[in-house]
Amino acid sequence: MELNNIMNFPILSLSIFLPTLGALVIWLFVRGDRAVRWASLAVSIATFLVTLPLALSFDTSTAHMQFEEFAPWIPTFNVNYQLGVDGISMPFVLLTSLLTIICIVSAWECIQSRVKEYMIAFLVLETTLIGVFCALDAILFYFFWEAMLIPMYLIIGVWGGKNRVYATLKFFLYTLAGSVLMLVAVLVMYFKAGHTFSVLAFMDYPFDFTWQFWLWIAFFVAFAVKVPMWPVHTWLPDAHTEAPTAGSVILAGILLKMGAYGFLRFSLPILPDASQYFVPFMVALSMIAIIYISLVAMMQRDMKRLIAYSSIAHMGFVTLGTFMFSTLALEGAVFGMISHGFVAGALFLCVGVMYDRLHTREIGDYGGVANVMPIFAAVMMLFCMANVALPGASAFVAEALVLLGTFNAHPAAQAAMSVSTKWVAIGAATSVILSACYTLWMYKRVILGDLVKDSVKSMQDMTVREISYFVPLILLVLWLGFYPVPVLNVIHESVTHLVAQATTTKLVAAHALAQAAPILDAVRP
Amino acid sequence: MANVVFPYPFPEHLTSLMPEIFVAIAAMALLLIDLFIAQDKKSITAWLAITVSLIAALLSVNVMQSEAVTAFYGFFLLDHFAVLAKVLICLGTAFGMVLSIQYMKDEEHLGEYYVLMLFATLGMMLMASANNFIIMYLGLELMALCIYVLVGYQRKVLRSSEASLKYFILGALSSGMLLYGVTFLYGVSGSFNFAGIGTGLAAAGADAHTAIMLGLVFVIAGLAFKVSMAPFHMWTPDAYEGAPTPITAFMSVGPKVAGFVVFIRILADALPSLQNEYTMILTGLAVLTMAVGNLAAIAQRNIKRMLAYSTIGHVGFIMLGLIAANTDGYAAIMVYMTIYMFMNMGAFAIIILMNREGIPGELIDDFAGLSRVRPVYAMAMGLLMFSLAGIPFLGGFWAKYAVFMAAIEAGHLYLVLYALLFSAVGAFYYIRIVKYIYFDEERVAFNFEESSPMQLTVLVTTIAIVVLGIFPGPLMDICKQALAGLL
Repeated sequence: MELNNIMNFPILSLSIFLPTLGALVIWLFVRGDRAVRWASLAVSIATFLVTLPLALSFDTSTAHMQFEEFAPWIPTFNVNYQLGVDGISMPFVLLTSLLTIICIVSAWECIQSRVKEYMIAFLVLETTLIGVFCALDAILFYFFWEAMLIPMYLIIGVWGGKNRVYATLKFFLYTLAGSVLMLVAVLVMYFKAGHTFSVLAFMDYPFDFTWQFWLWIAFFVAFAVKVPMWPVHTWLPDAHTEAPTAGSVILAGILLKMGAYGFLRFSLPILPDASQYFVPFMVALSMIAIIYISLVAMMQRDMKRLIAYSSIAHMGFVTLGTFMFSTLALEGAVFGMISHGFVAGALFLCVGVMYDRLHTREIGDYGGVANVMPIFAAVMMLFCMANVALPGASAFVAEALVLLGTFNAHPAAQAAMSVSTKWVAIGAATSVILSACYTLWMYKRVILGDLVKDSVKSMQDMTVREISYFVPLILLVLWLGFYPVPVLNVIHESVTHLVAQATTTKLVAAHALAQAAPILDAVRP
Repeated sequence: MANVVFPYPFPEHLTSLMPEIFVAIAAMALLLIDLFIAQDKKSITAWLAITVSLIAALLSVNVMQSEAVTAFYGFFLLDHFAVLAKVLICLGTAFGMVLSIQYMKDEEHLGEYYVLMLFATLGMMLMASANNFIIMYLGLELMALCIYVLVGYQRKVLRSSEASLKYFILGALSSGMLLYGVTFLYGVSGSFNFAGIGTGLAAAGADAHTAIMLGLVFVIAGLAFKVSMAPFHMWTPDAYEGAPTPITAFMSVGPKVAGFVVFIRILADALPSLQNEYTMILTGLAVLTMAVGNLAAIAQRNIKRMLAYSTIGHVGFIMLGLIAANTDGYAAIMVYMTIYMFMNMGAFAIIILMNREGIPGELIDDFAGLSRVRPVYAMAMGLLMFSLAGIPFLGGFWAKYAVFMAAIEAGHLYLVLYALLFSAVGAFYYIRIVKYIYFDEERVAFNFEESSPMQLTVLVTTIAIVVLGIFPGPLMDICKQALAGLL
């Protein structure tokens, strides 16, 4: 009975709109930077508490959508306000609400100008991000997906670094140009699937192969830009480098996941035959991301750029796991996204801590930081090791699962490839070495060595506030590394269901439908 | 006394003309009343004129019947579509007048200014109800003549007179082309009535093909001038830049609504048998219009010119609704125009407010650093620009959504892809304004005029855009129902 009550309460709506309501209240009634900071922190914590029941009362035994909500929105076009989460999307809602708190705390001192606008932008951004992961109506999904551009454009453009205008325009136009194709695809699917925008209805409708092919490409462009995959990744290093620290955290932690989430929610279950057809293509792009982008990362002189490229490489792992169609690889992909949200976020925070002190991100401007900031050096060591996917860190679980899943790929994925996926797994495994190279080399040059630069000598170790936002990240990375079972349990049923969807051809049903069409037309009044 | 015998029966359904009759009488009355209003109290004239246009909007709703009715022997048609268009036209006029109060306060002969706006409105309302080429042309010319004068209203400003002259010459040319086309259609079908032409053309033999084609091409070219489709858009940037800014705002909404209503009626009633031909012509024009509007806007430094090209770009998107040629498409046009009215009026209100010490802040550079000085205006302008770019949670997104949806329904997938490409290009110049407002440092000291009607306009339009962006359902419903009777 109690469970029922929780299920009926509109938790998803509340967690989507609470941040924006809070932002509205802050905009209208809260005066003074200090008060604004505390109020935003309160709003973000409240949102986190609202999302917490999603995890606590989540039913791990089913792949069905949970906490569903439904209301008509635009009846003329059958657009509905339809929400729900399954094991794939629920973790991202929590990830978003948690990272937003960390973002707000991390901006406590380093954002001194226009504090109020900054906090409002972040809270509105949180609304759109949670909305993306909860939406089950394709237009609602697109609505949040695109609305996200407005706060992000302002965050990079107003509080970013020197080259911020170029970076934010590039970010905006790249993602906009990518996602308009998705809008066309959604509209086409509306007419194909019988005047509905429900994602669940799309999953059931048998599209024929030609349509699957073109729709898949349209979705691919939108998602690949967001992930980002090579060769449409070039906006990311610029955006990351110029964004304020918290902007980078949210960018790496959540925004990139939206693209991969799109593949899981749209491409695989709705367009399974096209997804299988494109397996070699996706594997090729993922391998380029893993190997080539890792090499590019190695040669970066700017720390944020380096981590940005490392993010692209890690997302290559995620897309690789996504298109192997095996339960293991898909679990690894979803787990990898969660883990990367913490690890990359933490690494950007580490750079932020140093940037606040010396106002430079160049690796060459540092050296021997461990001598003056021992606590910081230890924290950064931990996250660097996590980035390398050392056993005990969450990333290890993710990469191990993806590699295992790739080694034993689903026959459907294997059939699409001309080489054994075992070779793909072996190739992808080189990333473990490459990521160790660029991460540890950066660590060595920045943190270790002799203290020669005067500027570095003046650096102070972390304050309590700074430590406070690393603590949850450290705990989570280690917890997920040592005991990933609770999270894997949440993911498992949904991923199993997704594998079934992605490997069941829709062509038979599509063929039957095409055969039946003349008869149906004759019967129809 | 001899019996007076009226040669014709008294027109039936005369009450359905109530809004037009009211505007005509009120405009003439206002011309007289204005003589008794002192020069420094001319805002009274403005408020009276605003009241007239709002009452006209209410009357339009009031005379609406559940079924379409005609008056004057089928010349005049009153259906839900016409009512919706008239409400939009009257609201557009009211907005234009509110914007004028501050901007025009130092001009002479203000009485005529508002009266001319009312007569232009009357012309547009007649166009919205025209069921016949004659009455359509009367309405069109009444509107156009008033607007030629309004564009050149600041006689002492060179570019205002220049704009007026250019607009007049090109407008007269386009009217001539329209009439020339109508003569061909009349020659073939023997009717001026839209529906009569429709049946006449459908029944015409193959030997009439050349005449029909000529008629079609010239009619479309003439109308294309009025709604500024490329390549007939040349007058738009000059007229927009030269006209007093409130008139620019005024002519970017009402005349476009009236023009598209006429376009829809002619395509749907008079030319349905030529759908293949006009689809081809309109597709070509739309491809060109979207490209010209969105690409040329990038290069502009004057914000009024930029918005002129942006209008052309939006007309290109709206044309998708015409090309779709279904109820959803025509309803989408009305959805688009409603949302576009709020976006444009809000943007022009802010541009007028930027007027500093008599020097209008018309350069895009002038907006640099606005957010530091006037955060509320900056936010309003930012939201309006994102809306014009078609980013969701703002109304502009649904405007585009509606036309794209209709075009896909009609099977014009490639055209929609093309349109989306240019809507991404178009986003660039809108968000560049946001860049100036939010990312740049202040360059010139801001000196905003304080004017409560203007502030109200900014507030109303911005809120309307946000509300329509989150709850677009009712608007889409109204438009769809209004258009349901047309096809």
